[in-house]
Amino acid sequence: MANLILDDICVRFGGLQALTDVSFSLAEGEVVGLIGPNGAGKTTVFNVITGVYKASSGAATYDGKRITGLRPYQVLAMGIARTFQNIRLFPRMTALENCMVAQHSRSSVGVVGAVLRSPSQRREEARIQEKSQRALDFMGLGDMADEISSNLPYGHQRRLEIARALASEPQTLLLDEPAAGLNPSESRELMEAIGHITDLGINVLMVEHDMKVVMGICNRIVVLDHGVMIAEGRPEQIQRDPKVIEAYLGQ
Amino acid sequence: MDYFIQQLINGLTLGGVYALIALGYTMVYGIIQLINFAHGEFFAAGGYMGVIFISWLAAQGVHPYVCLGIGLVLAMLYCAMLAMAVERLAYRPLRQASRLAVLLSALGMSIFLQNGLMLTQGQYDKAYPTEITAGGFQLGGLYISYMQCLIVALTIFLLVVLNLLVFKTRIGKAMRATAQDKVMSALVGINANHIIALTFAIGAGLAAAAGIMVGLYYGTVSYSMGFVPGIKAFAAAVLGGIGNITGAMIGGLIIGMVEIFAAGYISSQYKDVFAFIILIGVLYFKPTGIMGENVDDTRV
Amino acid sequence: MKRLIVLGVALAALALVLAGCGSDGAEEKQADQVLKIGTLSPLTGPYAADGNDIRQGAEAAVAVIKAQGGIPGFSDIVVVPADSACDPKQAVAAANKLINDKVPAVVGAYCSSATIPASETLAEEDIIMITPASTSPVVTERGLPYMFRTCGRDDHQAPAAVKFMKEVADVKSVFIVDDKTTYSQGMADGVAAAAKEAGIEVLGHEHVNQGDKDFSAVLTMVKDRNPDLFYISLQNSSSGATMVIQARRMGINAILMGQDAVFHPKLIEFAKADAEGMFCTFGDIDTTTQGYLDFLANYSSKYSAPGAYSAYSYDSAMAYLLAVKAAGTTDPAAVRAELLKLSFDGASKTVSYDEKGDSGSNYTVYQVRDGQFVPYWNSLTGQKY
Repeated sequence: MANLILDDICVRFGGLQALTDVSFSLAEGEVVGLIGPNGAGKTTVFNVITGVYKASSGAATYDGKRITGLRPYQVLAMGIARTFQNIRLFPRMTALENCMVAQHSRSSVGVVGAVLRSPSQRREEARIQEKSQRALDFMGLGDMADEISSNLPYGHQRRLEIARALASEPQTLLLDEPAAGLNPSESRELMEAIGHITDLGINVLMVEHDMKVVMGICNRIVVLDHGVMIAEGRPEQIQRDPKVIEAYLGQ
Repeated sequence: MDYFIQQLINGLTLGGVYALIALGYTMVYGIIQLINFAHGEFFAAGGYMGVIFISWLAAQGVHPYVCLGIGLVLAMLYCAMLAMAVERLAYRPLRQASRLAVLLSALGMSIFLQNGLMLTQGQYDKAYPTEITAGGFQLGGLYISYMQCLIVALTIFLLVVLNLLVFKTRIGKAMRATAQDKVMSALVGINANHIIALTFAIGAGLAAAAGIMVGLYYGTVSYSMGFVPGIKAFAAAVLGGIGNITGAMIGGLIIGMVEIFAAGYISSQYKDVFAFIILIGVLYFKPTGIMGENVDDTRV
Repeated sequence: MKRLIVLGVALAALALVLAGCGSDGAEEKQADQVLKIGTLSPLTGPYAADGNDIRQGAEAAVAVIKAQGGIPGFSDIVVVPADSACDPKQAVAAANKLINDKVPAVVGAYCSSATIPASETLAEEDIIMITPASTSPVVTERGLPYMFRTCGRDDHQAPAAVKFMKEVADVKSVFIVDDKTTYSQGMADGVAAAAKEAGIEVLGHEHVNQGDKDFSAVLTMVKDRNPDLFYISLQNSSSGATMVIQARRMGINAILMGQDAVFHPKLIEFAKADAEGMFCTFGDIDTTTQGYLDFLANYSSKYSAPGAYSAYSYDSAMAYLLAVKAAGTTDPAAVRAELLKLSFDGASKTVSYDEKGDSGSNYTVYQVRDGQFVPYWNSLTGQKY
């Protein structure tokens, strides 16, 4: 299951057509790369899926349920988590707390329970903490749980973003340039980590500029240019596609 | 020496009241960068709800301390709901508007609520059934009233509960996350509107508790009583570093203490002058307030 | 040519409008006029209690005159209330509103600090102003011809209070607190000066802010200095009650004494048992006279029990109405002449005004006993009741 399907998505900002009839899907266990020159509309696709922007027309469905028109927290509750191109951690919280916040929608204890610290609330809190710790361990940040996130080195902040997204127990992960600003050895490690994520049965849609990363781990690639899909296919097909080459060279 | 300690106790009592009110300002500012000018009215409304509930219960022959407990809880709940309604009607529709528009809306709300109180409760002050908390005890040369003990104890209790809530629970984490990055908090699954409404509710609940204690301590409540303590508590929040919860508590205590000591040792004519001199002095050397963080950190 | 036609039409239209105005005015003069009396008092804010008493007192007087058949030449008498909020700026704005409403006379205001600037605005339009409550000497000392006062003066009240301290209460020391209004501080200064003269030691004179609820610091100071008498000169009864409650709770055992602004049934309602035994000076109102009983019957049928200044306001409005009746016009000079000739048994006292506009003071010390103000000592006669 866990199929994300975009069907003829259009986004207009005033007179500007940001996305035109974008349609593609993401199947279970897949890693799909979303590439294109700057300003092609890649981040806009993410924002439409996660409910930050509204689609002007078209629909996105997830597990057969419509997700266009939902609020961001509702989209997350359905199992879609994301990271940002420019890191957006909660700067004054610890690494662990950043992950714990992400499980807000998975928790059920109300305000009164939280204030009274009932036994069920304590159990829940312990469970959330344990899961968050696991997410940190998974991304290799296990021993930095109590560091304030803004004090972490850049590479670790990138990993923490992914750990936080994982902590919300998603079925689908949207990664926006996860390797941006990383050195070659760091991005190699990141590729490995993303590989492990797919092993957990989570499918990944990622925007990435680093072609080595894209070609290395994506099963399929979707190419956008000026808000229009110009190609879709396996990495080796895309590499040879003349329209893709033109879009990049014409830049 | 007795004189000093007596004034210290007075300062602690007054500072506790300011701290409870200041928390509402600082929490709301922290989460939506709004100076909620209507906040003082929740304090006044709490005072009135307290007198209504407590007098009614006392008339039914309920034990004074039970009256007080039930009255306190009911008034806090009432003000929490009032604050959520105000947020829903006056602030949420302006979430995307300029800050100035929301500020004006807050000023309007303040006038609306104050006049609402006057029209529904009358322009005359209302007297608390102060008998139920009268009395005190002698400690050496000191005289400490039960009400002072109650105010200090209740203030500490509420502050501890609030700290646990904000720093130890999932709701608190969601509040802090929303304050730090609203868009991102939505993307990690937090309904920002719920959290903002909750923040208003908590702040107003604390202000209502302060309103009741002031009513019991000083004997009367008036519809216009929210204004002056509101301004002082706002100053306390700024002094402590607006947006910072610990700062609001410290700021409240400092303003209360300075006021009392200025009045007790210099002249009560100048007590507000000294309170604001301290405020200006601190802001001159540390513009973000005592516990203030770097404002640039807060991305909206 | 075209322009000339347009101009002509415009002028014709203007002429018509002006003619319309003229004929309106003429009609109004022919028909019976409505007599308007403005009231100026704090209808909102912390002094709203006293302010509404003043408005209601004037309304009661109008009702009485109307029940007696009104005033010949006037079809109706109406009260036009305005809110001074005990604030100098707002009082002037409210005075201007009353000028726009074309009232020939104003009953008010309450706080001396509002009465003084408002009276200057009203004086420019030759509007008669009768204050039922402002006791600051300045009010009638400025030579304004149309300024009258039905209540007493602080420079009579302060000596009366000190005379009581010295001769009746026999105190050696006093601590004074005021809240910095023209009236309350003037009163406190007067008491301080008179006390020193009388050989009573002033252990302290502190000032709090209007609207304060917390007096713990200053009361701790009072307790520390341990005076025989604690003199409370605040601007309203509810602040007074708050101070009395806190003072008693703090264990201050000094004799408590207040002035005519804290003298109000609300003081006892709020402070309850804590107010027992407290003294207040207030212009003596003999509640057994026919004038008072008439007032009480009328007032109580419409409103709740009269406040401290209801009777003075009633008398102020009554004085004006009687003067207009006698003069047969609202012309200020004619009405002033009648006011000076006037002497009638009002609710508060036998009302008559001197050249300055004052009507004399008759301060009595009241004591709170069993939840009521009971006359205790008369400053004029020096006798206990």
